Amino acid sequence: MRRLRTLTFGLILALPALAPAVAGSAPACAAEASGASHAALVVNTGSQTTTYCVALDASSVTGIHLVQLAGSQFGLQYQLGFGGQAVCQLAGVGASGGDCFGSYPDFWGYWHGNGSGGWSWAGSGAGSASIGDGDMEGWVWGSGDSGTTHAAPPALGFNDVCKDSTPSPTPPPSPGGGGDGDGNGGGAGGHGDGNGGTAGGTGSGPAGATSTPGTDASASPHGPSGPNGSHGDDAKDRSPQVDPSTGEVVEASPVTALAAGVADDAGGGPPMGALLALVAVAALGAGGWFLRRRQISRGGG
Amino acid sequence: MHPAAWLVWATCAGLVTFTTTDPFYLSMIVAVAWFVYAAQRIPGPMARSFRVFAIAGLVTMAVRTALVFFGTVDASSVAFAALEGARLATLLVVFGTFNAVTDPFGVVRLAPRRFHEPALAAALALSIAPRTIAMVGQVREAQRMRGLRTAGWRTLPALAVPVLETGMDEAVTLAESMDARGHGRGRRSRYRPARWSTGAVVMTVCALVAAAVFMVAAFTGRGGLHPSTFPLTWPDAEPVLLATIALLAVPGVLPRQKADG
Repeated sequence: MRRLRTLTFGLILALPALAPAVAGSAPACAAEASGASHAALVVNTGSQTTTYCVALDASSVTGIHLVQLAGSQFGLQYQLGFGGQAVCQLAGVGASGGDCFGSYPDFWGYWHGNGSGGWSWAGSGAGSASIGDGDMEGWVWGSGDSGTTHAAPPALGFNDVCKDSTPSPTPPPSPGGGGDGDGNGGGAGGHGDGNGGTAGGTGSGPAGATSTPGTDASASPHGPSGPNGSHGDDAKDRSPQVDPSTGEVVEASPVTALAAGVADDAGGGPPMGALLALVAVAALGAGGWFLRRRQISRGGG
Repeated sequence: MHPAAWLVWATCAGLVTFTTTDPFYLSMIVAVAWFVYAAQRIPGPMARSFRVFAIAGLVTMAVRTALVFFGTVDASSVAFAALEGARLATLLVVFGTFNAVTDPFGVVRLAPRRFHEPALAAALALSIAPRTIAMVGQVREAQRMRGLRTAGWRTLPALAVPVLETGMDEAVTLAESMDARGHGRGRRSRYRPARWSTGAVVMTVCALVAAAVFMVAAFTGRGGLHPSTFPLTWPDAEPVLLATIALLAVPGVLPRQKADG
């Protein structure tokens, strides 16, 4: 009996501490097979999905830095805005200039994957997300301001992106043959000194030629589009096949079509829940106030 | 009410708070905490802790939001910081409620012998803020009655000495009384063991259900627990999850606990 109580007590104490550990472990175990740490990045331009198994240069990087790593390792074209904290353009799609919502209602929706095909809408910016080994990130171009109205990335698991059989996929040859060659050769290690795993150090990325991390996007000279011309062409081809040179799964997205249908009925929902919340808060507040009044008038203190 | 029931209630309410930054869910949790506090507070110095922690929560939220202004300022990042701060504030309110409705030393008694000393240290540490505040109030009152000035920086030394002295006295008294009750000597008092009433069982089960539902919602990414601040959107509330939070209000409708815990 006493042992049981000891156990229960310990469990209660440990419960809050366990919660984040459990949350983190689920996706992490998927990548245990591979030696180096990798995160999966899924980019859906609305017409095609491209996936990247990105080698991380730190145990935890920001969502912005993951995009930068994909840029230096695979030649993913990107452009940042809002002081380097937001993604304006990916794979040549998106708003140009410093305002990442310049094409609103279309914008790059940001999703976190659970590693087995499920996606949840990211409430905060990619600059404050921390991505570790085995995590999945998704970017989808489209309209809709929340996880219920914006199109989700296709149901890909971590192992669909980072194949079990290839523990550390060699970075593909540079698509444009441009200045990002040195970035590929070095792999994850080569970037550690320059970028330091933060989105803040955007000024002097070692992989420079691949993309311009636009801390000041208006001054960004559209360097990205040069070396990545071949990627832009891929997008237009819409050829749903595996590109052997890069190892990227390129497939048409079936999800985009759903977005328009969902958007309508979600419009009627929100005020109901919010109203209910306000009523419940008011009722509880009034109930508590009434109880306190009664205690004070009875002299209960 | 069994102290363990309150421990489970506070832990579960804290877990629910941890999983969300939705202002509707958070304000619902604060309302539930206020309701439970109003219904079940134990009169005495510890009952102040609800107000103390509520104010501490507001300060925390203000500081968390103010930190944003050292970086990039836009509506999204301010809203994000404010919601994070609101989550911390809610956590503090839940904790203040827990302090006000239960006797911290009743909780210590639950600890198995092996954990007794850390639990005692924790209880003392947790109760020191409200006890100090109560003490400051007493000293100020005594000074006012003697016609002394109680405002301004110059009066601080005159305030600090009696407060620290009383604190020492209280600690010694506490240690002596605990020693007299056999704490730390390998035997435990069996005097009036706390009993599990039906109400305590019901509130424990309800709190566990609420925490479980929110954990499931958090892991499956449903229910809009984290409203998007990028882009900034109007948050949403799921009626099912609101009803789940209402389960935490169950202790508020149970019969009032006796003043001696």
